[in-house]
Amino acid sequence: MTIPLVPSLLRAHLSDLAENDGRIDNRDRWEGRDLELQHSVLPRAEGSARVRMGDTIVFAGVKFQIMQPYSDRPNQGGLMCSAEVRPVAGRHWEAGPPSAESIELGRVVDRGIRESGCIDVDSLCIIPGEKAWQVILDLFAISDDGNLFDAFALAGITALKNSVIPYERFEVGEDRQLDVSSTPIMCSYHKVGGRFVYDASGREELGGDERIHITLGDNDNVHSLQKGLKGIFSADEFTEIMEHSMKRTKELRKIVESL
Amino acid sequence: MGGYGDVQMIDENGKRVDGRGPGDLREITIETGVVPVADGSCRMTWGTNEAIVAIYGPMEAHPRKIQRQDRAVLDVSYNMAPFSTTDRMRPGFNRRSREISKVTKDALESVVLLELYPRSKIRVNIEIVSAEAGTRCVGLTAASVALADAGIPMTDMVVSVASGKINDIVVCDLNKEEDNYGEADLPMGILPNSGDLVFLQMDGNLSQEEFSEAWQYNMEAAQAIHSKMVEALKGGMQQ
Repeated sequence: MTIPLVPSLLRAHLSDLAENDGRIDNRDRWEGRDLELQHSVLPRAEGSARVRMGDTIVFAGVKFQIMQPYSDRPNQGGLMCSAEVRPVAGRHWEAGPPSAESIELGRVVDRGIRESGCIDVDSLCIIPGEKAWQVILDLFAISDDGNLFDAFALAGITALKNSVIPYERFEVGEDRQLDVSSTPIMCSYHKVGGRFVYDASGREELGGDERIHITLGDNDNVHSLQKGLKGIFSADEFTEIMEHSMKRTKELRKIVESL
Repeated sequence: MGGYGDVQMIDENGKRVDGRGPGDLREITIETGVVPVADGSCRMTWGTNEAIVAIYGPMEAHPRKIQRQDRAVLDVSYNMAPFSTTDRMRPGFNRRSREISKVTKDALESVVLLELYPRSKIRVNIEIVSAEAGTRCVGLTAASVALADAGIPMTDMVVSVASGKINDIVVCDLNKEEDNYGEADLPMGILPNSGDLVFLQMDGNLSQEEFSEAWQYNMEAAQAIHSKMVEALKGGMQQ
C-alpha cells in the first residue's frame, strides 16, 4: 500500500469540523454509514456474504478443505482467516505479496472470530488423527472507502453463519450446516480531529490518527482488541468507545441473526 | 481438453445440458459504477461467472521505467478470488493469470487511444469472484465496459466470447460441464463495429468447417452482447 500524501488542508478541515462536533459527511460522531448486508451471494463458495457500508464494499467467502489434524490435537479441525485487498479496491492499493495492512486486517478479524469460540473445532473432526475439516474464510475488498475492518468482520461472521459443510462433494457423509454458536461483532473507532469517531470514512482515515478495534461477543465479553497507527489515547477515551461498542454490537448482532 | 466424447452432452433434439440450443448464450447481466471509489467500473455476470472490474487513471506511471514518452500504458491485472472456484484458489499470481492479464492488456491496448495520455498509466483491475467457464472472456468484455464507464476514449469496445465443440457438435459459449468434456475452445475478442479481432486463442481439435462455424457463432454472439453493453452504459448515464 502506498501512503498517499495527506493534505494538511484536509487535516485542518477535519479539526475545524471536530470543534463543532461535525463530520465531513455530516454524520453524528457515533453514527455508522448506511449498511447493506446480504448472504449466499457467491455460487462457488460454501458460505458467503456481501457488506456495503457507504462506499466501502467487501465480500467474504467460506471454503472447506480436508486436512490431517495436528498430532497434538487429533480430534480438531482448523479455522483459517485471510484478507486480501487487491488493487481493484482503491488507487492506493497495489498488486504484489500481501501488505502489512492487509495481513493486520486478516489477523484482527481472525482473532475476534477464533477467540469467541463460535466455531467448535472438535465438531470439525471426521476421523480422529486422519481427517478433519479446515474452514477457510477469505475476506476480499471490492471498494475501500474506509473501515475495511468492520466490513470484513461483519461479512466474515455472516458468511460463516450461512455455510454448509460439503460432506457430499468430498464423499465423507451428508452435507450439513456449519455450527456457529455465537456472533462476535467488531466496532472500529478512529481519532479524527482530536476525538474518536465510529466507522471512519476513507477521507477521515486519510486525515486522522490512531484507530482502535473492539470485538465483543454475545455477553459483551471482549474477544479482541487492536490499536493501530501512531497516536496516544487516554483511559477515559477508551471507556467512552467501549461503552458505545456495547450498544452498537448489539444492534449489528440483531441484524446478522435476523438473516 | 477432457475425455473425448465419452459423456453425452447434447440430446437427440440438439438441446444442451442446460437446455440451450447450439448457438445460444448463457444469461448475461451488466452493471456499471459498482466500485464507487474507482474512476470507472463494471460488474458482469455471465451464467454463474461474475467479474468485477475497476479502472483507475489516467494516473502517473511509476516506476518510471514503464513510462512511454508518446503514449499511456495499460496496467492490467486478472485475478481469481480464492472463493471463485469449487476447490479454493490459493491467492497470488500464477502462470495462468499472468498470461490472461497479458493477452487482455494486448487486446485493450489495441483499442484505447493511448497517445492521448503520454507518460501516464491506466489501471485495469479484473477480479473474478465466481468462475464457471470462460472467465477470460467475461473479464475482457467487462473491462471494456468499465473503460467506457471511466470515459477513456477507445476506437471501439472489445466483446469477447468463445465457442467450442462437444460430442462433435460446434456450440457457442461453453458452460462448466461442457468445458470439462469439451473437445475444443475458441475464445475471440471482437470489435463489434468493424468485425475486426484484437484477441484470439484456441486449443483443442477443430476441422476447417468446424472452425468456420465456431468463428461465425462468435461473430453473431458478439453483436448480441454488444447491445447489452451499450444498454448498460446508457442506463448508467441516466442515473
